Order: sequence, then structure tokens, then C-alpha cells
Amino acid sequence: MFGLDYSWLADPAYQQWLLTGVINTLKLAALSSSAAILIGLLGALGLTLRIFWLDALIELFVEVFRNTPPLLQMLFAYFTLSTLGLKVTDPSTGLSVPLLSAFACASISLSLFGGALAIETFRSGIESMPRSIIEAARSLGYGRWARFWRIEAPIATRICLPGLTNILTNLFKTTSQASVITVPELMYYAGQIYNDTFRTLEMMILLLFIYVVLVSIITFAMARLEAFMAFPGYGKGH
Amino acid sequence: MTKIKKLTVSAVALAAVFAGSAAVAGTLEDVKSRDKLIVGVKNDYPPYGFLNDKGEIVGFEVSLAKYVAKELLGSEDKIELVPVVAANRIEFLTAGRVDTIFATLGVNADRDKVIDFTTEYVSAAGPSVLMAKEGTISKWEELKGKPVCGIQGSYYNKKMTEEFGINLVAFKGQPEAYRALKDNRCIGFVFDDMTLQQKLKEADWSNYKIAVAPYEFTPMAGGIREGDAEFKAAIDKAIEKAEGEGKLIEWETEFGMPHSDYIAERAKAAAAKKN
Repeated sequence: MFGLDYSWLADPAYQQWLLTGVINTLKLAALSSSAAILIGLLGALGLTLRIFWLDALIELFVEVFRNTPPLLQMLFAYFTLSTLGLKVTDPSTGLSVPLLSAFACASISLSLFGGALAIETFRSGIESMPRSIIEAARSLGYGRWARFWRIEAPIATRICLPGLTNILTNLFKTTSQASVITVPELMYYAGQIYNDTFRTLEMMILLLFIYVVLVSIITFAMARLEAFMAFPGYGKGH
Repeated sequence: MTKIKKLTVSAVALAAVFAGSAAVAGTLEDVKSRDKLIVGVKNDYPPYGFLNDKGEIVGFEVSLAKYVAKELLGSEDKIELVPVVAANRIEFLTAGRVDTIFATLGVNADRDKVIDFTTEYVSAAGPSVLMAKEGTISKWEELKGKPVCGIQGSYYNKKMTEEFGINLVAFKGQPEAYRALKDNRCIGFVFDDMTLQQKLKEADWSNYKIAVAPYEFTPMAGGIREGDAEFKAAIDKAIEKAEGEGKLIEWETEFGMPHSDYIAERAKAAAAKKN
């Protein structure tokens, strides 16, 4: 169809590159997604404490990392570390090298970016809780922490899940930008292969396919989680 | 305009087109009767062909083209320079828009099926490696497992990783790669040798050197249309004369190119042949 030529896929070097690319993409996505969820939980929890300086700090963090492009954050982390003097001596070469590797820079900036989005998603979950439920819990004699863990958190989690799915799929796709700072992920090797073979259209179709499959796994898992956790009024499949 | 006149004009135009394509084999007569040589050159590829401060096309290959014009027509001003790029230069030649091309044309078998090459005049280096002066590496094999900066999509990247086992750290563009090299993100930068040689002339880069020499050289030649033996002989003779007179070595100096053994040896051979 359309004269597509996939014969280059038989080349073991390209197979190896694609495999390495997929593995690095998965590593980067898994690492930054878990860190983003953790940052989101801690941040949202921090906001419920209603401590003035902590609120200001978390808001500043959200503004900075949500409102700047992740690509810029990666480039900034990668190219300014040594300017700021953050260097270590590499024992194998004896050279003074920047503190963080490209992979570390990409993971950290994606975690912070995803984390900033997650804080807001979790906050929206907590704040959209009907006041009447909290009033009811209070009148039944629940203390502050018991109320949070037994009433607020379970309901808020279910409200947040669709938003969290958005963040995770978004983070997964954003890993492709790490190729700019030489993280050898899927997009990095794809570019090298189509530059070698001139089979750009074929490569793009394959990439679309791979990303659709990988992201579908996440959305499927999240949909199952929603269905599993559903109770009347909150979550899928109730 | 009447219909008849229109038809006549079209017929004349058509005849001119056919005459043009029929005259492919006799370019030398065409050039002589026109009293002008039309040459396709690069205008964005220093030192071979580029625009100087005054907006004129100059360069190593441009000087060679002008020398050829002088040999064929008696004056180096009897030339028309047509800027071409890699993607269209062979079409410009085969379609008859230019008589010949001197446009960083590497000699290879695929192109030889479509056009003829003149005698070769330059051997262009492939990639070399730029490293800090204190580095001790001098061979490709010694780079095995080491991080080396490069550019995403370079034609030799596969060879670097597969054959030399280099841990290639490839960037989108040159500025990022140069910066990463200065930050010690990699121990060297593998790139087009001619470009790296030019970079070394900048004050910022005085502490760096070409540590690993290119592993391959591709001869470059002019291109002419297939089967035009008379024209090829005339151009080859002019190029060999320029080599024998040491002109190519002069142009290397003029355009800031490092002196190559290839050109020096060809000059020696051409001079010996002449005597």
C-alpha cells in the first residue's frame, strides 16, 4: 500500500536501536510518572495543612514548572549545570563533568513538570469534595486525620483518576523531547534511522503505532483501576 | 496575435528545445560559439564555493571553474556562475541549464550511471574527531566505549556505533554539540573534517586539536553530461594544467584550507607529466 518499504527493519542494527529506544522510553516514563505522582500527593497534602509559607512555596513550584515548556526545562538542566559550577570528577576519565547525566536531567525535569500538574489535579479532587460530606463526617465524630484518610482521600482519589490519566499519557509522550539532550529514547533512534534509510514516512507510521500501543496500555490500566475502585457516584462502570 | 503567429512562435520554441537537447554531445562547440562557459557551483559551502563580503561567489571550486573558462575561451571572465545545491545539481546538468558543475561532487558509482566525471581534483575528508589538546587518543579504535559527541542523522553514525563501538552522544545541531564538548559531556566531537578544521581557527578553540584523522577520503570531480568526450578532454586538460602550475595549492592557501597531500601529489604528478 502506497509503496511503503519496510525492508530496513531486517537490519539487526536498526532492530537493536528501536529496542533500546523503546526500553529507554519506558524507563524514562515509569520513573518520571512515579515521581510525579509522589510529588503531586505530597504537594496536595501540604496544601491541606494551610500553613502560609508552605502554601506560597508549593504555589511557586507549580507556577514555575507548569508554566514553562518541559523542553526548555530539560535544556536548562542539561546546559546550565556546569555554568552553575555543579560538577564532579569522572573517575574513569579524570575529567570534570556536569553533575547529572542527560538521562537524569530528563527524568528530573519530567518529574517536576508532571508533579506540578499532579499537585493541581489532586488539589482539585480534594477541593471538589462536597462540603456536606465533610460536615456529616464531623458530626459523626471523625477527627481531622481520620476524616482525611477514611472519607476525603478515598473520594478525592476517584475524582482525580481521569485527570491523572491525562497527566500520565502526556508525560509518556513528552519523553520524546528528551532526544534533544541526547537521551537515546525512541525518537532519538527513529531520527537516526530515517536519516540513514530516507524512509521517513514508514518510520513515522511505525512510531505512531508504537506510541499508540504503549499509551493505550497506560489508559487501559487506568480505566481498569477506575472500574475497580468505582463506587456509586464516583469512577467508571458504576 | 493571430492563431497562425501563435503557432509559429510555439513551433520555433519547440524547435529550440529540441535543438537544445540534440546539442548535448557537442558542449564544447556550444561554449565556443556562445563565448561563455556556464558552470553550476555552490554558494553556501566554504571553502569550496561561498559568498564573500561583497556578495560575489568565490571559493576553491569557483577559482578552478574560472581557470577552466580561461583555458577554453581565453578569459576567466567569460563565465556564468549558477548557484546549485546538492539536490538539484545533477538535474541542472542533465537538463542542459549548465555546461558543467563544480559543486563538491563526490565521485561514486550511482552518479556515474547518470553523468560523466571530469578528472578528480580534490579528495574530501570524511569525519574526524575534535578533542582537547591534552588528550592522548589518536585512533578510532581507542574511542571504543567512550562518549563522543556527534550530530543526529549523520551518515557515518551507524559506522561509529557498530564498527568502532563508540558511545555516540548525538545532538540536533552543531552549537549544542560544541557546548557539550566544552562541558566535558563527551571526550570529543565527531564531525565533517573540513568544518572542524575551520572551527579550530577560532580563538575559543585554541586548546583543541583534531585528535583522530578521517578514516576515509572521497575524491571530488566536476560533472559533465554523458558521452561528451571532446568536452571532457578539454576540461580535463585545463584541470591538469592548473594542477601542474600549482594553482590548486595556491587556492588552498587563499581559501584557508589545510594543505592536503592529495593535491600536492597530484600537482607533482601533473608537473612531471608536462615535462
